[in-house]
Amino acid sequence: MAINIRCANTKDLLNIQHCNLQCLPENYQMKYYLYHALSWPQLSYVAEDEKHRIVGYVLAKMEEDCEDNPHGHITSLAVKRSHRRLGIAQKLMNQASRAMVECFGAKYVSLHVRRSNRAALNLYTSSLHFEVSEVEPKYYADGEDAYAMKRDLTNFQQGCSANEINDVNFQLSNRKCCEHST
Amino acid sequence: MPSSNPLPPKENALFKRILRCYEHKQYKNGLKFAKQILSNTKFSEHGETLAMKGLTLNCLGRKEEAYDHVRRGLRNDLQSHVCWHVYGLLQRSDKKYDEAIKCYRNALKWDKDNIQILRDLSLLQIQMRDLEGYKDTRYQLFMLRPTQRASWIGFAISYHLLKDYEMALKILDTFRNSPMICYDYEHSELLLYQNLVIQESGDSEQALKHLDKHCEQICDKITVKETYGKLRLELGQYAEAAQVYQDLLHINPENTLYYMKLSEAQRHTNAEETLKMLEYCETIFPRALAPRRLQLNYASGEKFKELVDRYLRKGLHKGVPPLFVDLRSLYTDQNKVDTIQSLVLQYKDALKAHGHFSDEDKDKPQEPASALLWNYYYISQHYDFLGCTQKALDEIDAAIYHTPTLIELFVTKGRIYKHAGDVQEAYKWLDEAQGLDTADRYINSKCAKYMLRANLVKEAEETCGKFTREGVLAMENLNEMQCMWIQTEAANAYKRLGKYGESLKKCHEVDRHFSEIIEDQFDFHTYCMRKMTLRSYVGLLRLEDVLRSHPFYFKAAKCAIEVYLRLHDYPLPDPTKTQEIDTENLAPSELKKLRNKQRKQQRKAELERQQAAQAQEKREQHNKSRQQTDPDLEQPTLDELIPEKLERIEDPLEQAIKFLLPLQELAANKIETHLMAFEIYIRKGRTLLMLRSVNRAHRLEPNNPELHSCLVRFLRHTSTSNHGSIVNEVIKRQSTGIFSNTNAFQLNSDYLIKNSKSLPHLLQGARMLYLLDPTSQQKAISLTTNLDSNLKAVNLENCTKILEALRNGDFGLCEQAIADYTSKCHERFPYATAFHPPESKQQHQQLLINHQESKEQQQQPPSNKY
Repeated sequence: MAINIRCANTKDLLNIQHCNLQCLPENYQMKYYLYHALSWPQLSYVAEDEKHRIVGYVLAKMEEDCEDNPHGHITSLAVKRSHRRLGIAQKLMNQASRAMVECFGAKYVSLHVRRSNRAALNLYTSSLHFEVSEVEPKYYADGEDAYAMKRDLTNFQQGCSANEINDVNFQLSNRKCCEHST
Repeated sequence: MPSSNPLPPKENALFKRILRCYEHKQYKNGLKFAKQILSNTKFSEHGETLAMKGLTLNCLGRKEEAYDHVRRGLRNDLQSHVCWHVYGLLQRSDKKYDEAIKCYRNALKWDKDNIQILRDLSLLQIQMRDLEGYKDTRYQLFMLRPTQRASWIGFAISYHLLKDYEMALKILDTFRNSPMICYDYEHSELLLYQNLVIQESGDSEQALKHLDKHCEQICDKITVKETYGKLRLELGQYAEAAQVYQDLLHINPENTLYYMKLSEAQRHTNAEETLKMLEYCETIFPRALAPRRLQLNYASGEKFKELVDRYLRKGLHKGVPPLFVDLRSLYTDQNKVDTIQSLVLQYKDALKAHGHFSDEDKDKPQEPASALLWNYYYISQHYDFLGCTQKALDEIDAAIYHTPTLIELFVTKGRIYKHAGDVQEAYKWLDEAQGLDTADRYINSKCAKYMLRANLVKEAEETCGKFTREGVLAMENLNEMQCMWIQTEAANAYKRLGKYGESLKKCHEVDRHFSEIIEDQFDFHTYCMRKMTLRSYVGLLRLEDVLRSHPFYFKAAKCAIEVYLRLHDYPLPDPTKTQEIDTENLAPSELKKLRNKQRKQQRKAELERQQAAQAQEKREQHNKSRQQTDPDLEQPTLDELIPEKLERIEDPLEQAIKFLLPLQELAANKIETHLMAFEIYIRKGRTLLMLRSVNRAHRLEPNNPELHSCLVRFLRHTSTSNHGSIVNEVIKRQSTGIFSNTNAFQLNSDYLIKNSKSLPHLLQGARMLYLLDPTSQQKAISLTTNLDSNLKAVNLENCTKILEALRNGDFGLCEQAIADYTSKCHERFPYATAFHPPESKQQHQQLLINHQESKEQQQQPPSNKY
């Protein structure tokens, strides 16, 4: 089985926490993961391998108390080093962003990244269309600065995530497809 | 407020201020006002004031005084709902939920419509899963406050949880048609929840109708579509279902489940059809990985070769490090393994010769130089997976020679050594990798894990410390962050080192994380009703019900049970009596040596005590500073876990049972659960519980080798001890399907004949042979130390187990057999340190001297009691 990318549910949270502890210096207690899953159940995504082990995740939320300008925030994003360069992070982020627009009308999505984290910075700017909005001095517990970054989502449309064309006739073999629409 | 002792207006005003201070967390002020009332001799024993003072003291961490005041207050005013409510809140803060529920019920006797108390009661009831009680309380709240949304929601959920779907749906329908509703995300979630309830009632058709009617109002389009797909498949509307999954794939072409469901909806009957579908999907989603990769699962023969050739070349050309990890799951099929092997070996030759993947490609542009590197890397992992250590090492060395700076190569080299049984060498390579990128926590974690496998706990802690908060001990911080993998690995390392107390401490810490996560639910009972995320909320309740089914708990519990069993079999000596060694019969030089050694140990112990004291002080300071920043610290402080106490516990078997019970409930599908249960109950002599354990194990895997040893020992137990006739009758009836023969000797010899070709079976059979008849020691040993190539499962793991069994005295004293077996295995597994000849082992031990003080010498071969 290949890597599977899907929306996260409460059963994933312990495994997401495990992945986070393996990969990143910023860690959270389970309650914080629960808070995400129970407030915005559509926004967090996981990548799992054939044995259902989480190899990557994005933990996302909506910023509260800004109803006139709704926007999402990426709390945490990680892909295990053993599974890098498969494009997983990008795919996770696109799904989370799509869900933010769809369910909460998000105008943009924001995140923080360590100043020293070149690889992540590169991913966000070149593959995911984020831009640095400001520098937050000493944002991290160890005193490192953070870049606050934003990605505009006003033109984000369904299906554009994978740059696919939507109107291909999906007829397979000789079976008739139905008239059903959603 | 019917109090038997009402206060006059001035004091009553003060009392109200205490309440306000409590709500606003101004505890010091609250105490001041309480003092003003209580200092008046007329009111010095005023019940409700005393109770509130107690509750306030509790928030300041003065628990003992808190209980004193609250209890005194209650005694002075037994008819006050305030006093009872306060007593309930105090118990609740101590997590004594059953007691708290009783208090709330008493409070409601004196004020039956008190909303606050009813709400608090309902929270405890749902937390404790008193579903009937919860329903009653929610009903009362609903009757008292029918205009509040939460009243409706809580009322509906209480019926849903009791599986009264009809009633739950009625309430939800009425609520949705009330003016309380506005059309937004919350309404959308409510509709999805309602649909979930209909689905759970089993009425797919109704659920579909409901979805048709409301899908426009639901903003979560993914869930709408996924639900459509599921329902249409259930109802046999395959064409419609196929359309739904096609739509979903357009949104997320990396969801492998959608492809499987699409295949189901298109009613594929063979792999070719699915393969065709996936090929088609690949053309629609050219950038998606899933359809390309999934094809490899369904293709075979020449078609597989063609596809995997393309897949490998693409990965090697681009330099995709996880290429092997990605393909590993294909290795269950030997034909596929052979195909891949011949391809990658062919690439190697061609790339080395002329920089192309094959001779036919010579006219095309050359592959990048890195293609050869990634190919070496792939072949190395390939051979490692197949157990060919030497070939794997050759390839990884070639890769490292090609590119000496690639971290992945060192990680792989370490992993090869780990698989080959050399944890020391393995950790050294991981340490090397870690040194090349100290900013990467993944490598850091792997390195720490390998250190723990090599029993280097201190080194592992230091390594982890690079990523934990400064000023706190690494292990403290990891515990705070609920880092269970490292605690479990550490527990196992300590167990191997014979530091049983330390090991148990880690196991208990993991257990406490699970308790904590169960506590975490509490706030969400109210939160989710406000947020209306009810599907996820019900998901949370169901998750928490089976939380300890998680493998993290299983591993920690297994370790704890094994340690407790060991402590039962070989209790630790009383520390005050250990020094009473027979000094009279020692030669003067030996005596001197002994004294030196004792002094050394004392110094070391003293040093460790000092370090522990310092660490303790640091911890306390840390806790203090935390308390200052967070005055709302209602957490009850748990007993500190002290290794020395844990390993000298009086009732290790009872402690083991505490870890076992959740496994019996939540991991009953694992045979190990029942095998461990048997080991505990045989030591307690509980015949019927032993019987139950072997019964359950037998149902799961009748020919499990470890189960056989349980069966033999069970027969031996029942034949030697005298049970009542009723017990005998139960045994007879319950065990007929299990025992082919009720004579232990006969059972064992039948078993040995039947399983003469499987090493793990031979080990258990031979162990039992010796147990039943010590005179057949030679036969038993020769059976189990056989390494014939026609035996099944002659691998490192099983051979190590056999050596451990020999050393452990399962076959009596057998020094020569151990030496012979060790050297035989050394030949077969040259890298495995377990079988290194004694000389090099001593060098090894020298290296390890700080971590493990020649543990093996202290352990005499014990007689096997069970």
